[in-house]
Amino acid sequence: MKQRDDWHLTEALGYEHGRADPFAAAVRATRMPMVITDPAQTDNPIVFCNEAFQTLSGYDRSEIIGRNCRFLQGPDTDREQVAKVRRAIDAQTDIAVDLLNYRKDGSTFWNALYLSPVRNDAGKVVFFFASQLDVTDRVKAQTIISKQKLLVEQEVEARTSDLEAALDAKTLLLHEVDHRVKNNLTMIGSLLRLQARSISDPAVSSKLETMLERVDALATVHRRLYQSDDVTRFDVGAFTENLISDVVGASRRNDIKLVSNISQIEVPSSRAASLGLILNEIATNAIKHAFADGRAGTISVRTALEGNNALIEITDDGHGLASNDVQPDGIGKMLISRLAKQVRADVVWSDAAPGVRVSLSFPVDD
Amino acid sequence: MSGRAKPPLNVLIVEDEALLAMDIEAMIEDAGHRVVGEAASLYEVEDLAGDLHPDLAFVDIQLAKGTSGLDVCALIRKRWADAIVVFVTANPLKIPADFAGGHGVIPKPFSRNGLMSAMRYIEEGVCDPPPVSPQPASFIAAPAFAAEWSETSP
Repeated sequence: MKQRDDWHLTEALGYEHGRADPFAAAVRATRMPMVITDPAQTDNPIVFCNEAFQTLSGYDRSEIIGRNCRFLQGPDTDREQVAKVRRAIDAQTDIAVDLLNYRKDGSTFWNALYLSPVRNDAGKVVFFFASQLDVTDRVKAQTIISKQKLLVEQEVEARTSDLEAALDAKTLLLHEVDHRVKNNLTMIGSLLRLQARSISDPAVSSKLETMLERVDALATVHRRLYQSDDVTRFDVGAFTENLISDVVGASRRNDIKLVSNISQIEVPSSRAASLGLILNEIATNAIKHAFADGRAGTISVRTALEGNNALIEITDDGHGLASNDVQPDGIGKMLISRLAKQVRADVVWSDAAPGVRVSLSFPVDD
Repeated sequence: MSGRAKPPLNVLIVEDEALLAMDIEAMIEDAGHRVVGEAASLYEVEDLAGDLHPDLAFVDIQLAKGTSGLDVCALIRKRWADAIVVFVTANPLKIPADFAGGHGVIPKPFSRNGLMSAMRYIEEGVCDPPPVSPQPASFIAAPAFAAEWSETSP
């Protein structure tokens, strides 16, 4: 390198800087590759480059001075990035870009180029100052990271599609089992109905009817299960309304009206069958006892979520608590108390003169 | 529809489970209608006499010999264009959004009350539309069928 020529160059461009200018000396000596170009000349040629730039590019000063910076570009240099530099020069603003540049020997390096205009006191751009930094290692590291990221993403995608397929298979299986359970419940109901037709003894026939009602309650539970996206939860609000309206309908008592005030309450699906049977006992009991002797009336159903507790209230305006047989007895009573314990529900019978209110409250989570 | 049907309705049952077919038949007769035919598969529906003229057909989706109630529905609509087709299935999700030309669905497991009130509702809809009873929870009308009723309502 013709290091001794350096001061000539700083002198050549330095009409506002002295020869012994310590700033010029610093630029010459720094390890940061730097060039200065002169936009006043045709094609904005390099008028100064320091030693570090010669080392980085592999060219001698004589091969550098007087040329436009584009001689560092090669076939794989990103044209769009080059265009950005071009636009910054035209707009006389500064710019920072990473460019793939070529050394004299044809090898490449990633150049973190920082270019800024240098203005005189009048604000006119007299030079462009460019510093370069070889960031090949950083760019390579980024390339490796993005390749690995792509691999990881592909792997995640493959695993996700495996899991989705497994979930689909599980969902299909669930629906298949659900279908069979429903078919079997339908057959149990059919068997009981066919048997009931052949019985003439009213006492036996009434017991069989009660049995059929319980099976129907379970059927109502199963019709409503797995209807939402979350198969583990079950809306006990809509279910209660559905069940009570089935029970009232099945009684063929057109003189009993149903009024409901329902809000959605999601509970674990595992509780559905027990809750269904409890509600069935309460509702059939109300119809048989509260509205005995042809007494007409209204059954009101209310469900609400109070904190972590679900509340279900079934109120009738029939024969009140003073009447002897207003609460269920026998197996009905046993079913309510045992199943309530299982779902941790409190069942309270209270006076709602003239009728009775049954309140069921239970925690909605396990 | 060429002249409305009058009760008792002629009902066709397409169900491969003998027990359910018997149960449905008993309930149809309790409701005062007539069972004119029973079939367990698509082939048995093909073999039914052409002059059967059912007003209403209850059709299961999964039938004997691997046949489908959706195909049975299409066949019934072709053979007896005036027949109302109601699917009775444990898998209502298998029914396409347009009900494959069918008129409604009764989901299994059904209760006696569910089936009887659905039948009363359908009878009203067939013989003297639109139905005056509220639509029971046990019956879901196909959108096109329900729309027909809303057009005939005063």
